[in-house]
Amino acid sequence: MPDTQALVNDFLNKLKKRKIEGSQATARQTAELLRSVISQQRVPYTNQAGALIDAVKAIGEQLIAANPVELAVGNIVRRVLHIIREEDLSLTTAAIGGLNLSAVSDDENDDDRDGDSTLSAAAVAAAARSTLRPPSLQTLLEDTPVSAAVPQTSSSGGDSEGKTADKSSRSRKLKHDVIEAVNELIQDIVTCHEQIAEQAVEHIHQNEVILTLGSSRTVLEFLFAAKEKKRSFRVFVAEGAPRYQGHLLAKELVARGLQTTLITDSAVFAMISRVNMVIVGAHAVMANGGVIAPVGMNLVALAAQKHAVPFVVLAGSHKLCPLYPHNPEVLLNELRSPSELLDFGEFSDCMDFGSGSGSPLLHVVNPAFDYVPPKLVSLFITDAGGHNPSYMYRLIADYYSADDLVVQRRATAGN
Amino acid sequence: MWHRSASFILDKNQNDTVYPADSVTLTPPPPSSISTPQNPNPNLNRNMSMSAYYQTRAAHHGVVTSDWLAQSQEAATRAVVTGGQEIVDGGKSGRAFSVIDEFNNWRKQPDLAEAVAAIRALAAVIRNSEAKTMMELEIELKKASDSLKSWDTTSISLTAGCDLFMRYVTRTSALEYEDFNSARSRLIERAEKFGEISYKARKIIAMLSQDFIFDGCTILVHGFSRVVMEVLKMAAQNKKLFRVLCTEGRPDRSGLRLANELAKLDVPVKLLIDSAVAYTMDEVDMVFVGADGVVESGGIINMMGTYQIALVAHSMNKPVYVAAESYKFARLYPLDQKDMGPALRPIDFGVPIPSKVEVETSARDYTPPQYLTLLFTDLGVLTPSVVSDELIQLYL
Repeated sequence: MPDTQALVNDFLNKLKKRKIEGSQATARQTAELLRSVISQQRVPYTNQAGALIDAVKAIGEQLIAANPVELAVGNIVRRVLHIIREEDLSLTTAAIGGLNLSAVSDDENDDDRDGDSTLSAAAVAAAARSTLRPPSLQTLLEDTPVSAAVPQTSSSGGDSEGKTADKSSRSRKLKHDVIEAVNELIQDIVTCHEQIAEQAVEHIHQNEVILTLGSSRTVLEFLFAAKEKKRSFRVFVAEGAPRYQGHLLAKELVARGLQTTLITDSAVFAMISRVNMVIVGAHAVMANGGVIAPVGMNLVALAAQKHAVPFVVLAGSHKLCPLYPHNPEVLLNELRSPSELLDFGEFSDCMDFGSGSGSPLLHVVNPAFDYVPPKLVSLFITDAGGHNPSYMYRLIADYYSADDLVVQRRATAGN
Repeated sequence: MWHRSASFILDKNQNDTVYPADSVTLTPPPPSSISTPQNPNPNLNRNMSMSAYYQTRAAHHGVVTSDWLAQSQEAATRAVVTGGQEIVDGGKSGRAFSVIDEFNNWRKQPDLAEAVAAIRALAAVIRNSEAKTMMELEIELKKASDSLKSWDTTSISLTAGCDLFMRYVTRTSALEYEDFNSARSRLIERAEKFGEISYKARKIIAMLSQDFIFDGCTILVHGFSRVVMEVLKMAAQNKKLFRVLCTEGRPDRSGLRLANELAKLDVPVKLLIDSAVAYTMDEVDMVFVGADGVVESGGIINMMGTYQIALVAHSMNKPVYVAAESYKFARLYPLDQKDMGPALRPIDFGVPIPSKVEVETSARDYTPPQYLTLLFTDLGVLTPSVVSDELIQLYL
């Protein structure tokens, strides 16, 4: 236990000081941290899923608070919570399936009891299934207390001899299954670039002109993959002020033998008419299909829309966030150091507080991110395939549970 | 709808031959006509098969002029008489129970949603039924539900509520409930609980929309929607600073009622006439509307004027948010404005209109999904494309 606490504190520190760059690294480290937390966590005999969920939520809350702008942290926390619920559910249904068989095969029980146990098993399974899915029209008229009783009934229903053996094997199984699933998740995060790059050939054709902004590793791998398959195309790289990471991307592309042109951000509108497709990376994808991307992306998206150029966003599934952006320009943005724009030395006289009013006349604002509304995006390419912005809700329903949208440790039990 | 000829001249000729040549067409009939309920104004009958749903809404929230009240009362008594007869003929003999009467009773309460009233009426059917098996009960319910739906074809939440309940009954009976009586009592219990569900739904919607209302924002609202009222009430209680622009909402003028309620909550309100929406759209940060029904495409059917506001908001890049409970999702897919059944209500212009002049009396319009930004429902915050997914999951 103290071991994990030290790990958690260390990670929290790194997040607060923004020492980890990039959502993939953050996502991977978050997943690894949660994996160690789960393996260290001691679980009670009954309602183990609840205990695990509580533990993960407690830590998740702190992680999200440390860096609210890095949405990948929250995404992974919610993914892990969803995994725990899913594994618990599949174990429960398997156990009930086992119970069912034993009850039916016992001929000496009277019919009533048989009917009862099958009813309770079917009803419990149905209720359990419905708790995992978000609330829907189907379950609108149903009783909500039934779902809360799932863990209790599953452990107390029936009294066959095989029960106790089931229970103890279940306790080990849940943790084991969850850790396996989290390992798969980590694997997915690490290999997301390859899976996205595999789709490159379908989208980039011969003699095309591609435009991108700044530098994204996903885009780099994507373009390399197309190059490998012997497609010849040209790339326009917008430099991505104020960090000028576009310069690095251009160098790498040239090293691989791709014809590259470097332009300023302001030249995007001038050059967009000569471009066939815009391919960019993202920092995060919101539930409505909107994109949080490095600053300058909205400009490119608007230019692309004006000239009817497809705007393609590459994003690994760890970037998919189940939240809706209600004030994205303000709440999901970060202001970086103004020294990236202006040298302190050169402009120190403007920063003087000497002018009468007591505050500097020159303000320097350096936002890190831009919000691109969903109507400007043509296609999302994720490791799960290519999708429309309006389809994002489906992926979210697959990866996340509705109960986890607000990651807060609740005092009462009853998930 | 059926008058789709390109030549309105043909229509006019047709209509002229049917109407008597007096000039009393669309002004409220003189009080003397009330004494002859069995022989109403033929024009009233033919052109204005009044939408009982919009009537009820007007009675609840609109500014009611005395002439309008007289008209509606007359129409209501007429309708109930015919409705009551229908059910007594087809149903249980010697029983004065009529599902339509029951429904009307529930509907009169201003705070009760349509669908809740419908489901309560169907619960009453179960309670009064003498069926001994699930199948029989289902058949009775189906008959009652059909008669309710046909009595007022213009109310979408009524239809949707009936369908939802029928779906639930079918699915519940599929789960092997051994005892018929316990199944029946369970159905009744769930139906009565539905009122709570509906009330909770409004609370959930209000909670979900809180994040989207920020300090210093200006919200445009159209007409009077109880769900939107709940949203604004909760925001006011959370001490958010915002201001509301409220359209009048002719001909109901339900916006006046909303303005009253908001003034009581100390929320700054400004009233606009319906035509002033584009003029003020500049200062608006978001548009909030309720919905009478949410259709399969993700669009909404709402009080007349909603489409107009959505168009203006879209052209000026303002988000349009819809607050609707999930039981309003209906299996309709209108392709254009006239694709739905007509829901007409008479409009009082205050001065007599010559009979040659037609009046557009439709009470509602359809807003296509591309003009809506998000829907706040008790199932969560949804984009318009999620609606069809939900409906498919329910009905397939």
